[in-house]
Amino acid sequence: MAVIEVNDLRKSYKGHQAVNGVSLTVERGEIFGIAGPNGAGKTSVVECVSGLRRPDGGTVRVLGLDPHGGDRRALQQRIGAQLQEAALPDAIKVGEALKMYASFYDDPADWRALMDEWGLAGRKGDRFAGLSGGWKQRLFIALALVGRPEVVLLDELTTGLDPDARRSTWALIRTMRERGVTVVIVTHFMDEAEALCDRVAIIDGGRVTAQGSPRELIGQAGAGTASLEDAYFALTGRN
Amino acid sequence: MKGMKGMKGFANVVAVELKLGLRDPMSAFFALAFPLIMLWVKLRGGNKPLPGGVPAVDATVPMLAAFVIGLAALVVLPATLAQYRERRVLKRLRATPAAPAMLFGAQWIAHMLLAVAGTALIVLVGAAGYGLAAPASLAGVLLAWLLGALSLGAIGLLLGALAPSGRAATVIGLGLFFPMVFLSGAVIPRETMSGSMRAIGDLTPMAPVVRAIRDGWAGAPPSAATLGIMVAIAVAAGGGALKAYRW
Repeated sequence: MAVIEVNDLRKSYKGHQAVNGVSLTVERGEIFGIAGPNGAGKTSVVECVSGLRRPDGGTVRVLGLDPHGGDRRALQQRIGAQLQEAALPDAIKVGEALKMYASFYDDPADWRALMDEWGLAGRKGDRFAGLSGGWKQRLFIALALVGRPEVVLLDELTTGLDPDARRSTWALIRTMRERGVTVVIVTHFMDEAEALCDRVAIIDGGRVTAQGSPRELIGQAGAGTASLEDAYFALTGRN
Repeated sequence: MKGMKGMKGFANVVAVELKLGLRDPMSAFFALAFPLIMLWVKLRGGNKPLPGGVPAVDATVPMLAAFVIGLAALVVLPATLAQYRERRVLKRLRATPAAPAMLFGAQWIAHMLLAVAGTALIVLVGAAGYGLAAPASLAGVLLAWLLGALSLGAIGLLLGALAPSGRAATVIGLGLFFPMVFLSGAVIPRETMSGSMRAIGDLTPMAPVVRAIRDGWAGAPPSAATLGIMVAIAVAAGGGALKAYRW
């Protein structure tokens, strides 16, 4: 069953066509990757899906609901998001943030249990501004999960993380899938998309240039293609 | 059930915002220390009666109550909101079921609780150090304080909704606050101001706040026009703030 259906999505900013007819389908329980270079329109797609931006054209349905219609509130109860460059107040403590975000939802997770699960218990009293990049991302993942969402959208989650923090973030995302949460990640790292995703849409210039499992995309790119990164260059004609 | 949940969420945001306000040295200074310094400055010459016979402290403490509300509402509150927008704290909140009206309400209450603390401090120090008389009409003072917090708070929310950055909000907020406190009688007693200054000051939204709190303290009957102006400002600015709000 499709959890997210995007059909012919269009979005422009001041004459610049950021998204130019994107269609994609995300199935329940998978990790779906939206990959592509910087400025490809990936974030615009995710922001239209999460209800943060209103599309100029096309349709978006998440769990059968329109993120921009009267269902917006009902939908916000059922999705979680980690947005690019989003932040918390500097002085808020980890425990306070989790407790406050939990209070926004009708049927939240137990925020203390969530804090333990994601290894944040030892940081409960730490202020947001004092956390390292890896701990901030861990907190953002926990905040995205605190409403017990069916779908989680994660935008550029690992940008700026060191290799260790990046690998442990991958493990956390796989844990989410094991619990039945549908995960959409936005990334410009092809190795990340290959390692994590069940299926990937490669977006370039506001369009989907290829869509499928990493294995399928590597196959499509033809002989001599060893990785999704190679396939990406072959399929987009870059390089 | 839903209403209960909503209340719990609201109380949570208020509690967190209040803690953040107290952790921020600037907010804490503005709300708590600055009014006390003003009290000391105004009364260091002694508690002489003003023209008209009111002892200086009995005028100064109600005046500074309006000063405290103004600082919290016009300077600290808009800076917090605009900084949240600039830093994309609001953007993250937008991806939750939290509603703008709820966030506004929680911000307003948290900042007004800071102002309550600041007001309580000057009242305590006024009573202990300078022989402040008890308010003749406690109900009148509380109503005036609340309407002042609503009207100036709504202006602060409007500023916070429109200002592009925390820094801009602080500059605009201070630019509104300082002329207003000097002209409205929150720092200089109305009795000692020239007629023309008073006339200009009466046009500022802080003037009815100063007047209503002083009336309540002195036991003068509340003026319906003064209270009405504050209600009108609260409704107009509050409605404008909700309309202008951007995440």
